[in-house]
Order: sequence, then structure tokens, then C-alpha cells
Amino acid sequence: MAQAGVMAAAPAAGADREATVFRIRALTVVCLLAAWEGLAALGSLEILYGDVIPSSWKIAVAIWGEITAADFYRDLGITFAEHIVGFVVGSAIALALGISMGLNPLLRKAIEPYLNAIGSTPKIIFLPILFLIFGTGIDSKMAKGALSAFFPVVFSTALGMILINPVLLRVGKSFNLNRWHTVTKIYIPAMVNPVITGLRLGMAITVIGVLVAELKFADGGLGYRLGNYYEQFRIAEMYAIILIIFALAAVANMGMTRLQVYANRHQGGSGAHSLSVATN
Amino acid sequence: MADILEISEVSKTYDLDGENPVQALDRVTLDVAEGEFVSVIGPSGCGKSTLFNIVGGLIAQYEGSVRIDGRAVDGAHRDVGVVFQEESTFPWRTTLDNVAFPLEVQGMGKPERDERARKFVSLVGLEGFENHYPAQLSGGMKQRTAVARTLAYEPRIMLLDEPFGALDEQTRMLLGDKMLEIWAALNQTMLLITHNITEAVQLSDRVVVMSFRPGKIKEVISIDLPRPRSSEVISTPKFGEYVGRLWTLLREEASRGMVEAEAELAAR
Ligand SMILES: Nc1ncnc2c1ncn2[C@@H]1O[C@H](COP(=O)(O)OP(=O)(O)OP(=O)(O)O)[C@@H](O)[C@H]1O
Ligand SMILES: [Mg+2]
Repeated sequence: MAQAGVMAAAPAAGADREATVFRIRALTVVCLLAAWEGLAALGSLEILYGDVIPSSWKIAVAIWGEITAADFYRDLGITFAEHIVGFVVGSAIALALGISMGLNPLLRKAIEPYLNAIGSTPKIIFLPILFLIFGTGIDSKMAKGALSAFFPVVFSTALGMILINPVLLRVGKSFNLNRWHTVTKIYIPAMVNPVITGLRLGMAITVIGVLVAELKFADGGLGYRLGNYYEQFRIAEMYAIILIIFALAAVANMGMTRLQVYANRHQGGSGAHSLSVATN
Repeated sequence: MADILEISEVSKTYDLDGENPVQALDRVTLDVAEGEFVSVIGPSGCGKSTLFNIVGGLIAQYEGSVRIDGRAVDGAHRDVGVVFQEESTFPWRTTLDNVAFPLEVQGMGKPERDERARKFVSLVGLEGFENHYPAQLSGGMKQRTAVARTLAYEPRIMLLDEPFGALDEQTRMLLGDKMLEIWAALNQTMLLITHNITEAVQLSDRVVVMSFRPGKIKEVISIDLPRPRSSEVISTPKFGEYVGRLWTLLREEASRGMVEAEAELAAR
């Protein structure tokens, strides 16, 4: 079982606090490793299920084995492509729809109930349909990725459009702004923050959507690799893949957080707050 | 002096669902001369903002007519600039870029508009804060940014909807002096909404007193105090007389407003 860590961007409040935070983090890692090793030792003494928890050294070796294997990069590439295509397609559609919903209250009223209904269902139930339509290859993973990315982005975009400060729109009107300037000078800058928040969430959920689809039915990708190792009972390799996925997701999230902090640089220093992503 | 703005017989009824129509304005008539400073004072909810929104072209449906230089107003008007009651600076723009905003959308080049904007930034006393974002400014500074932004638009009529309403008395008084300086320097026609009697008397040529619902003009008082004025006029006896007169007029309205508001609450 994988334990997902929670990334937290601490606001800069004195070097002292920073140092304390760092110490607590380091200590957490040390404790986790020690507990892990303890459990691994129990396993090799046949007290616990043997081999379910391999020693961290074995996992490190497995990670090395993965990142030096050529077919690992083939799978990484497949997952990456599925993720990017799914994310871009899903969020592009979501942005267009979210903006239209914001500009057109009638449209919003009409389709909001459907979006809410589907949005709150676990998207995994659509997986069989996607496999039937798109086959078990790379296409169905992209479709699943797009489906996963779509909802967080459409919700945050539509909400951002609705919650835009009405006074700012009145300012635009009082300065006789045409439609083009109203969109480019008021709507777009006002939407940067909610949209990035949605994209960040969408990106994280797309990873999950793609991996779940790969675990189910695939002939390539990191999820497929993970499933294979599990079936072959190659536990150390399985953990290696989990850790690699975890690291990649953490890096991607960090990148998006940076982007958000940058986009928010004018909001008086209260940058982006990181949120942990709960998904179905 | 010719009248630049003629408001005649303007009425406005808000009718949200056809259920509870609210008559916000009832046949308001007012002429404003070029270069004049007119304050509008009245109890909360008497339709002051509504009147400004109509003059500013932000409300299209109303009865009566609004003319600027004799031409009927329909839609937002190039000659009218509004400073809103609410905080209205763009949070993603620095002070300078906020003030340059109306020039930017008119297509003026960056060096030229920055230079123009700088002039207005210093006019409202914000030199040194050109590169600050609104989040880094106090409430009063943000409102001054909004004032400078509307000044940069160079409207012939400037509507100020309680821009300093949320500020403390001292700051408000000093900003009042500032507004007088600007008014004198630019010979700008200004209409100011305020809840503050002292401010109204300190700044205005005329004070329009409005009555509570439906919003009507109850009385227009000319303020015959020598110009240039500063907040020091406040201590003169004549100033006190004007304040007393306005207070008497407003007290009736304010208490009527309160009684009606209480009755409304009780009816629910
Ligand atoms: N958009 C609207 N829809 C419906 N009713 C409105 C709307 N705007 C204002 N009203 C009503 O019209 C009346 C006048 O409102 P207005 O905002 O013009 O008052 P005001 O004099 O500016 O008050 P304040 O001093 O509190 O700002 C109020 O009773 C208000 O409830
Ligand atoms: Mg108002």
C-alpha cells in the first residue's frame, strides 16, 4: 500500500520556524524509514508475511533497475503522452465551457445540474464504456485523462467567472470598454487564479485517472508496469514504480504551485495554499 | 456658466421579480453648471447610487431624461467618469497601471500614458507608491488610486460615490482638502455623494438633500463660503450654521428611514 505525502508550502515567517519545519520533516522521514525497516525485518524473520515489505535497500536497487531499463522509458513515455493529451484536451474543453457558462447564465442554468451530477460520481464507472469505445490501447487512457481533467477545470472556471468582482465590470463599463477589452483587460486577469487552481487540481486528478485505466486494461504505461509487477509478485519493483510515480507527481505539483505563487505575486504575499488532492 | 448636466424628472423603479417593486427615485430634477461642485446627501437607500448609475450610463432603463451639453445620454458616456462606492482598483495592476488603465484602453502608448498617469498619481498624493499593488495599500490609498484613475480618463463630469465613506474622520477631512485642490486645479465638474454633512459643506457650491424612499430632492442649499477653502473653514460660525440647517433637514429623513426600516423588519 502506498502512503501519499502531503506537500505543504510554508509561508516565510522567520528563519527559525523554517528550520523547525525542516527538522520535523527530516525526522518524519527518518521515523518512517525506521518503521519500514522494522516491518521488513519482521517479514524476513517470517513473523509477518515474508516479502510483502522488502527492505529499503532492495527497493533502492529496484528503483535503479527501473531507471536504467530501456522499457521503463517506453512505459514512462506512454503514460506521459496519455497524461498530457488527456489533460490538454480535457481542460481546453472545460475552459471553453466554463467561460461560456460564466458569460451566459442561461447556458449555466441549463447544464449545471448535469455537470454536478456527473462531477460528483466516481469517473471510474465510465471506464468500461471508454474501453468499449476507444479500445484498450492508448486512446482510452487519453479519454479517461480528459474526463478526469474536465471536471475540476470546468467547475473552477465557471465559478471564477461568476465570482468575478462586479464592481470591476462596472468600472470597465464606466470607461466605455468594448467587449474585447472587457475580456482581455478584466475577465482574463481576474480569472488567472481560479483557472490555475483548477488546472492544478485537474492535472493531479488526470494522473490518477490515467493510472487507474492503465491498471485495469493496458499494454503499456507505468500503471501497466505496476500491475504486472504485482501479478508477478515482484514486490520491490512494485514499490519502486510507486515511489517513482509519487516523485513525478510531487514534482508536477510543485511546478504548478510555483506557477500559482507567481500568478498571485500581487495578492499581498499570500501566495497559493497547497491542497491535498482527494479523489475517487 | 452654462449647465453641463441637466437631470429632469428622472424616476427609477427596481422591479426584480415583479413582486416587490422598489421606487428608488421619484422625479429628480437637477442642473449642474460647468466647474461646479455639488454634493448629494441623504439617508442610506434613498437612491443616491442609483442616480449616479443613471447619469453614468450604467443603468439604461429609467424614466425622465439626462442630458449632457444638451444631448441625451444613453449608455456609458465618454464625458462622465465614476468613482465607485466600493473598492474598485484592479488587484493585478500596480498603482501606476491602475491609473493608466483608461489611457491604455484608449490605445495610448506606454511611455506617454505612464507620464500622464504619473501626473495624476502625484495629484492625489501617491508619489512613491507607483509600483505598489492595491493589496499593499491602505483603504484610503486604494480609493485615491481609483480617484486618480477616473481623473486620468479626463471626463468632463466626475461622479464620486462616497469614495471616502469607509475612512476615518481625519483622513476623510484631509482627502477633502485634496479633492478641493484637484477641483480647483482642473476646474473639474464634480458630483459627490456623501453621508457626511461636514464634508458636504466643506467641499460644495451646492448641497442636494434627498429624502428617504422614494428618493426625491428635498432641498438644495447653496453654500456661500469663500473659496479657496480648506478644512479650516470648519471652525467658522457660518459653517456651523450650514451644518445645523442640513442636520435638521436630514434628521427628519433619517428617522423616517429608520422607522420604515423597522416596520419592514417587523412585517417579515
Ligand atoms: N440592483 C438593484 N435591484 C433592486 N433594488 C435595488 C438595486 N439597487 C438598489 N436597489 C434599491 O434601491 C434603493 C436605492 O438604492 P441606492 O443604492 O441607490 O441607495 P443609496 O442612496 O446609494 O444608499 P447608500 O447610501 O446606502 O449607498 C434601495 O432601497 C435599494 O434596496
Ligand atoms: Mg450608495
